[in-house]
Parts: sequence; C-alpha cells; structure tokens
Amino acid sequence: MKQSKILFLVVIALLPLILVSCSGTAQRKGGWSGPTIHDGIIYVGTRDGMVVAVNSSTGSQKWSYPINPPTTIYTTPIVDGELAYVGTYGGRVYALTIARGIERWVYPRTGSIGAIVASLVIANETIYISSSDGLVYTLDTTYGDLKWKSERLAEKLWTSPAIHGDTLYVSTFDGHIYALSAETGDLLDWSFKSQAGFTSSPVIYGDTIYVGSFDRHLYAIKIGSDVPLWRFPGEKPAGNWFWASPVVSEGVVYAGCLDGKLYAIEAKTGEKLWEFDTGKPIVSSPVLTDNLLVVANEAGNVYIINPETAYAEQIKNPDNANKSTINAKIRASFCAYENLVYIRGEDNQLYVVDIEEKTVSEPISLTKK
Amino acid sequence: MNPWDFIIANPVLNVLIALSHFLFGQFGLAIIALTIIVRLITWPLNRRQLKSTKALQDMQPKIQELQKKYGKNQQKLQQEMMKLYKEAGVNPLGCLWPMLVQFPIWIALYQAIMRALATTPENLLDLSARLYSWDIVTQTIPLSSKFLWLDLGQPDPYWILAIIVGGTTWIQQRMTQAPAIDPRQESTNRMMLLMMPLMFGFLTLMFPSGLALYWAVSNIIGIITQYFATGGRGYLKFHSPFKPKQAKGK
Repeated sequence: MKQSKILFLVVIALLPLILVSCSGTAQRKGGWSGPTIHDGIIYVGTRDGMVVAVNSSTGSQKWSYPINPPTTIYTTPIVDGELAYVGTYGGRVYALTIARGIERWVYPRTGSIGAIVASLVIANETIYISSSDGLVYTLDTTYGDLKWKSERLAEKLWTSPAIHGDTLYVSTFDGHIYALSAETGDLLDWSFKSQAGFTSSPVIYGDTIYVGSFDRHLYAIKIGSDVPLWRFPGEKPAGNWFWASPVVSEGVVYAGCLDGKLYAIEAKTGEKLWEFDTGKPIVSSPVLTDNLLVVANEAGNVYIINPETAYAEQIKNPDNANKSTINAKIRASFCAYENLVYIRGEDNQLYVVDIEEKTVSEPISLTKK
Repeated sequence: MNPWDFIIANPVLNVLIALSHFLFGQFGLAIIALTIIVRLITWPLNRRQLKSTKALQDMQPKIQELQKKYGKNQQKLQQEMMKLYKEAGVNPLGCLWPMLVQFPIWIALYQAIMRALATTPENLLDLSARLYSWDIVTQTIPLSSKFLWLDLGQPDPYWILAIIVGGTTWIQQRMTQAPAIDPRQESTNRMMLLMMPLMFGFLTLMFPSGLALYWAVSNIIGIITQYFATGGRGYLKFHSPFKPKQAKGK
C-alpha cells in the first residue's frame, strides 16, 4: 500500500533529522587551557591537544608537544624548576622539559585515571591532582611516582584543591568542602556541607575559604566552622553561578559571575563594595596586576578596572572599535606579566593585551606548524 | 534564545531537574516520571489510536468476507476495504501518528538529558544559561548520571536496554499494527515489524541510556494500555488473513 510505504519512508527520513537536531547537544569538549609564563616563555595547552611553548618577545613557537593519544586539555600548564606539568582530559599527567618539550615522565605510565579538568597544584615537590573519578592524587614532581591518593570524595572532581599549611581543601559538586592531610591524604576531622554544590575551586585568604556555589551565591567559610561566615548576595541570589574562582587581595574579594558582573566584596563582612557589569558571562578568574584588575567576559571583551574607584575601561578591538576586544570567546584562565596580559581565545590563538597602552597585539596562532 | 529552546527544550530540561529533586536526586526516576507525564499528555491521541486498533480487530470478519469476495480483484478489494474503514471511521495508518508526534519530545528529551548530565565542562557551562532560578533546580545541580547499572549519559554497555527497547517495540508494534488488506501491505507490515525494533534497538546502542530508558518505559506503558484497551493478550495472537501460506494456497 503506497500510503504506508510513504509513512514508513517519512519515519526513516525523520531519524536523520533527530540525529542532526541532537548533534548540537553532543558532548562538546575543546578544552580551555590557559597560558602561564615563565622566564619569558609562555606555556599553554591548545584546542588541538598540544602543549606549546611560545617566546613572549617574538611570538615564535619554541616547541610543541602533541599529546598522544590525542585528547583535550583544560588545565593550565604549571612550571616548576625545569619541568612543565599538564593534566589532560584523557586522565594523564605529563611532565615536559621546559627547554625542549621532551616528555620526562607521564602518570600513570599505562592506562589513565579519571579525566583531569581542574588545573594542577604544586607545593613542596608534590603535584596535587583532582580527577573526574572523584579522587585526589599526589605525585612526586621529579619522577611522577604516586605519593598517595585520597578516598573517593565525590562522583567527580572538577575543581582544583587549595593548600593551606599542611592541609588540602577540596570543594565538590555535591556541596562538600573536605580537609585532607597534604602529607598523607587522610581525611581530617573538619568538613563543610552546603545545600547546593560548589562550582569553583576554593580560594583561601587568612583562615577563610571563598568559593562559588550552584545556588548563585559566593560563600565565605571560616576553616573549622560549620556555618558560613557570609554568603553573597545576602538574600536574592546573583543572576547565575560564580563559576570562576575569586581573587582576594587586601581584604577585598573580586568575584566574576556568569551573570556578567564582577563583584567587589568586603572579605570580612560580605558587604558589596561595587559591581561592574560586563554584559556577558565571566568564565575566567580576574587577574590583579600593578594595582589594576583585568577581567574578560566570555564574549571576548577585556576590561581594565581600577579596584579603588571601580572605573572600568574596555580594551578596544584594533580592527573595529565596536567589536569585542578579541574576535573569540574567552574561557581559559589568563596570566599577567609586566603590564602584559596573555589570553588564549577559543579560536586557538594567543592574544597579548598591554594594559598600559590599552592595546591588543596581533594574535599568535597556536595551531600546529 | 531561539523559540525551540524557549518553548520546549528548556522547560523539559528544568522540569526534569525539578523532578529529580523530588525523586531523591535520581535522574533515572525523573526520566520515568517525565515519560508517564508525556504519556498522560498524549493520552487523547493514544486513545484514538487504541480505539482505531480495536475497531480494526472487530472488523476482521468483514475484512475476511471481502477478501473472499474480491480476492482476485485487488483494486476492487482495496476500494471496498477503504469504504469499510471510512464507514467505521477508522484510519489504518493511525497507529504511527502518535510516534511521529513524539519525535519533538524525543529530541527535547535527548537534549535535556545531555544538558542536565553535563558530561563535559563545556556542557556544564552551557547548562548555566538554561536553568530557571528555582531553588529546587539550583539545589539539584549537578545531577548524578548513575541509575541502576546505567550511566544515563552513555549508551548501555551491556545491551540490556537495547534488548528491552527492541523487544517492547516489537510487542507494541505487533499489538497496534493495522491488519493488512493485501499481500503488499502485509509485506510492508512485516518489514515494519522487523525494522522498527531493530532500528530502535540499534539507536539504543548509539544514544545515551537516559533516552533509551524513556523509550523502554514509554513502550511498556503503551503495551499495558493497549492490553486493556483491546481486550487483553488475545489480541497478540491476532493474525492477518494474508499469511504467506494462505496467500500461496489461493
């Protein structure tokens, strides 16, 4: 019967439509590794799964190291001594020589641990790694040997741990902050439980932990206390999550929010000092350099803010003043060095913003050459 | 925000997350609850289809009579059959329409599952822009993707869901398929009866198990309602008059 065949064909034809419709929601991952600068060389993970070293003066690539098997990189490389360390979404940690980008060691030597999304932390010749398998791993920086791994703290860990003295603090998506012995990984007596999960890595200033939450508040939690010191905003929540880790300096917390605003908050009281609306989500943590705050939103706009006066100035796009500062999304963390801010755009290019001249340089391509 | 996200995708997403809050944080239970809600919403459409199937079942003696009478003249037979359907107010193709209507729901559900589970950092960031500021939503995020043996964001590695989805699709298809009026339609029916379970079984292996869970539960509800609406399991034994053996004998 013709009609039934037509209907059958319609059903079959609609299936690709489903697939096409669904493809927009597929598990996208491009990575947002940020740059780090050490002795004039910028180290950054690229969107095509490489770690590259770029000469900050000339913009030329010193070396590149393709991760094999190919994977995505979310972590910002970290340099300690003669090695650069990077964790990958493939669940491995690589130690590369900063001189030539040669692999010194990889952990684990075979197989992998859970995906690594949060940047690594180094202290006392130990690398601390939060993994998507819910465990914290610690490695010896020289040989990459496992020192200890924690018990499973959550379904997955996507935030970096913070070290304070001999204690490691870990925030989790299910709303816990755990304290672990940095030496042994044993859980300590104190932990904090919130109704909503924590989105950002904890930042410790004095004896207080500052951390963003899925409930659209920023929390200040005194270490050892069961109740928050304060949460910001007080009653009505912010417009979205505090995704990026806040920056704390001289008694003021600077917190970027996915509602597009940068908030300056009194660290002791949680009182708002000022806010600046960038108009688009702030994914990357702000950077404080030379008494100026540099903040970028996801749309690619970069602002320089005087933290005293809250006066903000947008860096203009060199090609078109009406466009965003850079022609790409900004999700990666960025770093500052001598009045220059290095930003990796989602277009796999490195932008250098001169905060004195208020200009952006020609982008440096990070694509494999 | 585009109309699709505003009208369908984001409401489904937020309702799913809110349901998880009330169902012990279990996203799998939220999918099952949403399936039941969807079946309730589409009940008027399904009821029409069930009535149509029941009417087709009741018409079998008359169809067989027509078959005997006009067996050698296929064109006339088809004309008479269509006349009979028209008089009874029955659409023999009606069984497929509820499925077609559910396509947008499947797409929205697939998107909701992928977005809610946020298996990659980009997806979690994307999720932030789609959530309502309801306390029950913000307190439920992020969701656990674990449910029974399944990771709802990934296909079932043990093929159990694929077998369930394929099997229940076959049973439901068998229960709702309109009787054939000629050998060609019988051939199409047989093709559909084979193709649809295989196709959905295959899709289950490709798509997140959260979506397959929806298919499985939806099928089971469909089978149960069909069972009661068409007079119990006897209907499963229903056979078309155009079995290949009979056709050869004529």
